[in-house]
Amino acid sequence: MSETSANETKRARASRRLGVVVVDPFPVVRAGLVSSIETSPGLEVLAQASSADEAISVVSGVRRTRVIVLVAMGLAGDKDSYWLIRTLRERFPGHAILGLGANADPHVVSRALFVGADGFVDKNIELGEFLAAIKSAGDEEMVIAGPAAASVGKIAEGIERRRSVGLRLTRREREVLAVAAEGLTAREIAERLGVRERTVTTHLARIYGKLGVGNRLAALRMAARSGLVSIGPAE
Amino acid sequence: MEVVRGVVAAGHPVVRSVIDLACREAGVTVVAKVETASAAIDACRSRTPDLLVLDLELPDADGFRVLADLDDAERPKAVLVLSDHAEGDLVLRALRLGARGYVTKAEGLRGLSGTIRRVLAGERVIAPGMEQDAVLALGRFARRAREGAEVAADLTSREQQVLELLSDGHTMRQIATRLGISPRTVETHVAKVYRKLGVRTRVQAVSRAATLGLVEL
Repeated sequence: MSETSANETKRARASRRLGVVVVDPFPVVRAGLVSSIETSPGLEVLAQASSADEAISVVSGVRRTRVIVLVAMGLAGDKDSYWLIRTLRERFPGHAILGLGANADPHVVSRALFVGADGFVDKNIELGEFLAAIKSAGDEEMVIAGPAAASVGKIAEGIERRRSVGLRLTRREREVLAVAAEGLTAREIAERLGVRERTVTTHLARIYGKLGVGNRLAALRMAARSGLVSIGPAE
Repeated sequence: MEVVRGVVAAGHPVVRSVIDLACREAGVTVVAKVETASAAIDACRSRTPDLLVLDLELPDADGFRVLADLDDAERPKAVLVLSDHAEGDLVLRALRLGARGYVTKAEGLRGLSGTIRRVLAGERVIAPGMEQDAVLALGRFARRAREGAEVAADLTSREQQVLELLSDGHTMRQIATRLGISPRTVETHVAKVYRKLGVRTRVQAVSRAATLGLVEL
């Protein structure tokens, strides 16, 4: 066999293996995920990250058209797992993004899918099923593996709720609502956004009208349930 | 033993009697056998059954109407859906509306009493292939929902109004009159709407907006 064709074979084999990037805040979990994934001849771990920023930087460094990014739902803070999924979706539309939960409830799954995940797998499944789910995601298939698979209807319902609120509010109205979620007065919101107080109250009134609610608390509850704004600790 | 009460809703008399028989075999007391969606809704409200076996192909409306019209308290705990079709979108919709089982008439009428028992026991009964199709449908649904919400966020309230009037089939001039603005301004709004939707014609705009759920046709 000539050297060129040997190289070609090697390259072909390398390109057949599906690349995976592992994002999880816990080192021990990450190590476990990496070694589990590496047991599959069809998969290879290209990089790993412990935070959202690190994840974006390592994914940017990957020179492949399609990789699987496995995002654990446990990232906290401003740049939580949902933020990461949304950002990866925008910046790397060709990659497959899988949410990774631990007995995740349908609410978490629907929010992850709504912000841009291509599927959701759970740590609470057999290794074979886990690896098969990752491979399916590589084939551009939607996957739901683990306890959440029993709640497909509820997940869809959650997405519908997010959609129906999302459809009604403009970007500016969402901004106003997000700031209002911090519990600021109309005047403080106005200062923060650099607009007049009157504009803020107009926005708020319109938001209440669109959501069919009578006050700020009800609007926030609805927006929080739909995942438009975050209130309190990350899920 | 506690009495389990069931409602059977199916358009075709033969299908209805097959379901009826299967219910009896499964130990269910059939309290109502109905032919239409509206009768099924009435039966669920007045008889509050534990089980509803629902044929999706009813003469007056599809079976989804029954599930959608009943509120959570009125909807029986155990709902088994029967259909001639098994597309993922249909299965997903049935699951969303609270169905616990979904079988096709071609495959599911045999062994129906066993299926009814499993559904009553709290099990989800859906063929694995159909379940996978429902998950794929969920993926499409999630993507459309996300795209729809993103586009909607970018549209101003005025652009949204213009889009709705366009979808209703109004001309630019009619839209201008309706909104009390100049035709020229309407054109500007329309151009922006097209750009945000990523389309070039009115037909494309309306179809894309409907797909994304921005307007109802």
